[in-house]
Amino acid sequence: MATYKLNINSKEYTIEAEPQTPLLWAIRDEARLTGTKYGCGIAQCGACTVHLNGNPVRSCSLPVSAIVGQEITTIEGLSDDNSHPVQKAWLEVQAPQCGYCQSGQIMSASALLDKNPKPSDEDIDQAMAGNICRCGTYHRIRKAIHVASKEISDGSK
Amino acid sequence: MLTVGFDTLALGSSNSTFKKLMAEDFVNGTQLNPFVTISAEGEVTIMAHVPELGQGISQGIPAIIAEELGVTMHQVTIVKASASQQYGRQSIGGSRSVRSLFTPMRQLGASTKDVLVQAAANKWNIDPSACEVKEGVVYRKGTKDSLPYGELVEDAAKLELPKNPSLMDKKDFKIIGKATHRPDLAGKVNGSADYGIDAQTEGLLYATIERCPTLQGVVTSYDADAAKAVKGVVEVMEVTRTVYGKKNTGIAVIAENYYAATEGRKKLNVQWDNAEFKNISTESMNADMIKLAQGEGMKHFEKGDFEGNKGKKGIGGSVKVKSVGYSLPHMAHSCMEPMNATVHVREDNTVEVWAPSQSPQVQRQFAKELGIPDNEAEDKIKVHLPYLGGGFGRRSMNDSLEECFQISKSMRKPIKLIWSREDDTLQGPFRQISHHRMTMSLNSGDRIGMQHKMVSPAITTQGRSSNGRVPFEVMEAINTHYDFDDISVRYAEYKNQIPIHWWRSVFGSTNAFPHESFIDEIALELKKDPLQFRKEKLKSEPRFVKVLERLEKESDWNEKLSANEGKGVAIVESFGSIVAHAVFLKRENGKVTIPRVVSVVDCGIYVNSDQVIAQTEGNIIFGLTATLKDAITFKDGAAQQANFDTYRMLRINEAPRDIQVHLIDNDEAPGGVGEPGLPPIAPALTNAVFNLSEKRIRTLPFDLQDI
Repeated sequence: MATYKLNINSKEYTIEAEPQTPLLWAIRDEARLTGTKYGCGIAQCGACTVHLNGNPVRSCSLPVSAIVGQEITTIEGLSDDNSHPVQKAWLEVQAPQCGYCQSGQIMSASALLDKNPKPSDEDIDQAMAGNICRCGTYHRIRKAIHVASKEISDGSK
Repeated sequence: MLTVGFDTLALGSSNSTFKKLMAEDFVNGTQLNPFVTISAEGEVTIMAHVPELGQGISQGIPAIIAEELGVTMHQVTIVKASASQQYGRQSIGGSRSVRSLFTPMRQLGASTKDVLVQAAANKWNIDPSACEVKEGVVYRKGTKDSLPYGELVEDAAKLELPKNPSLMDKKDFKIIGKATHRPDLAGKVNGSADYGIDAQTEGLLYATIERCPTLQGVVTSYDADAAKAVKGVVEVMEVTRTVYGKKNTGIAVIAENYYAATEGRKKLNVQWDNAEFKNISTESMNADMIKLAQGEGMKHFEKGDFEGNKGKKGIGGSVKVKSVGYSLPHMAHSCMEPMNATVHVREDNTVEVWAPSQSPQVQRQFAKELGIPDNEAEDKIKVHLPYLGGGFGRRSMNDSLEECFQISKSMRKPIKLIWSREDDTLQGPFRQISHHRMTMSLNSGDRIGMQHKMVSPAITTQGRSSNGRVPFEVMEAINTHYDFDDISVRYAEYKNQIPIHWWRSVFGSTNAFPHESFIDEIALELKKDPLQFRKEKLKSEPRFVKVLERLEKESDWNEKLSANEGKGVAIVESFGSIVAHAVFLKRENGKVTIPRVVSVVDCGIYVNSDQVIAQTEGNIIFGLTATLKDAITFKDGAAQQANFDTYRMLRINEAPRDIQVHLIDNDEAPGGVGEPGLPPIAPALTNAVFNLSEKRIRTLPFDLQDI
């Protein structure tokens, strides 16, 4: 076991873990931020997506020892009050069904919009293809990304 | 409108004298019945007692109550209930919730309103008929006198709820039938929604289980010491789960954190005796079923005389008889939240459970194991009802709870058991495999005969005999309304060792594909447009015709497509609703895509139009995954697909960009919504494939790029 200091949502967490422990379990069970989900463990489904220095990554496949000193943002760090444009758009179109994959979907979508505020449908396909939704909410996710994109670009005018 | 989520961390405790605080303990006000509580300030709390797995029922049932209670959804706080008999049956499946609860919950809301009105009438010393209700306030008709519910609730609580309250007219509905936002979604966009896998309690330990690849093999040896040598591992033990009477044994590794448990599991080196299952493969199962399809089968539905008239020439002297086989494979449920459970059996035999289950009322079952009498079960065993990260039928089996309970009962510690994705995919129980022998007999005298002979294992007869009867579940979604002269629907039961279980739309997901494909095959033999043929042959069923007419219009069915486009239609009745899909295909730059799906749903009276649309969109995607992605196949008795790399799901880049769902408005009794959109998608797609490429798909899944 080793001690690691993790910067999650601009807060420092000191955790005890084996070096190879996936970041996912450190976030969920040590930092107790359970919005980030386990879905497959092999970076195939995207339910565990968080931002690492602003980039979407699969936290199930990153050892905690490799993360030290970097900025992690989880779904809980997106806003305090569901006010992030992506969260607002998700609610406006009522995107989630069971909701389990949606933390990962929202983290992938918010990373996309940070880099590309006006994504085309092809851009959305490319950025979101790593996130599986078994309930089949893809149609609404696409719509919500366009809604959020509009709010972001209207807001920056 | 709010939902109240509770921090589960605050609820658990290893201290047995600790009062186990359940969701109900936080509700503020005077309770009028187990579902409705009203505070002096007029805040209305309605308990959401049906497990929420994405279908929106945690909003749907309270909305039905609120409608008859005479309040707006803005006045209502929905609280997710715990599992308790006070709510009646809480198990969920078969697209049954609204169908079975629509009238009882309306009656409950109406009788609750009646006692509030009676309390007001008593205060004014008038007859209740001189009162009216608007938005949680009772008015004395013709005056300005009013009393809000908050001021009446204490008196109303002393009155008995009337048994047969009068119900509203549909035309007066203000909530039912409208698109209403779901309050649970707020917590689903910020990570705060509590799923079973998120349960936290003091001193929690984590468990994973190494399982037999052939499901029912026998453990011959394992290395508990090697697993225990991994830092953090605290215990290794054998556990069993019961799957339709069969005991599946596994080796559990329990540790201080989940990673240590998974590392310990790798060291177990379990040896299994699998000899009994060596010869089971998907190929052998298909061969067995094809052989069974040659037999007569059990009669399910017979009209005219199919066998007698098969091959008989008509006026003009000709007849065409054609028999073909259709096959569908095993499937995994693949809920995004893998199977899991959290259970704490304390030293004093009290229990706290977090049950991500479609059938969460486990108190009596656990009480029996602990020697607790039935009448004390609910006092001693508290069951939290978290959100479910998908269910699709899988979570109606409580095998993960059974395993977790065994571990906690043995260790008397709080245990969270998490199945890996590999466990979840490999271990089943699965969607049934099936084979369908379809025969048509068309003669020059316009006589049409059709036979559907279905071969499959049945869910409800696993581990027992079907006694020569057709099990109730196996003939779902076979449409015998088609106006053919001779119809024969038969079933041959195929018994084998692979456990099967309810999977979204169940036999609808397997029967509709051959049935509605073969309707197209017949229409094409008769040179008829597939949609017009269905309209003509379903003339005696006005609801079907209306759905088809609406689909014809909304999809612009009759517009001519270009040579690189294709269209297909299918209509299926299942779980009390009728759904038709039109699927459109396009071939561009050598790639085939599904740009558009148009859907029409007749589910009778519906509660929340937006949720009917959402469930239908979801059914289309779920059904497309089953049609176009991977099967679960068996070799040497073991499933061969373990995770989402080999058991792939449809992804956003493959999903239709344009999905339109249209609802039929009528006064029919509510039908199901969670499943009926699934059965017609596979045949609508494969009918479109034929239209585009003249290739008839009779085995699922298939690759759209291979057509």
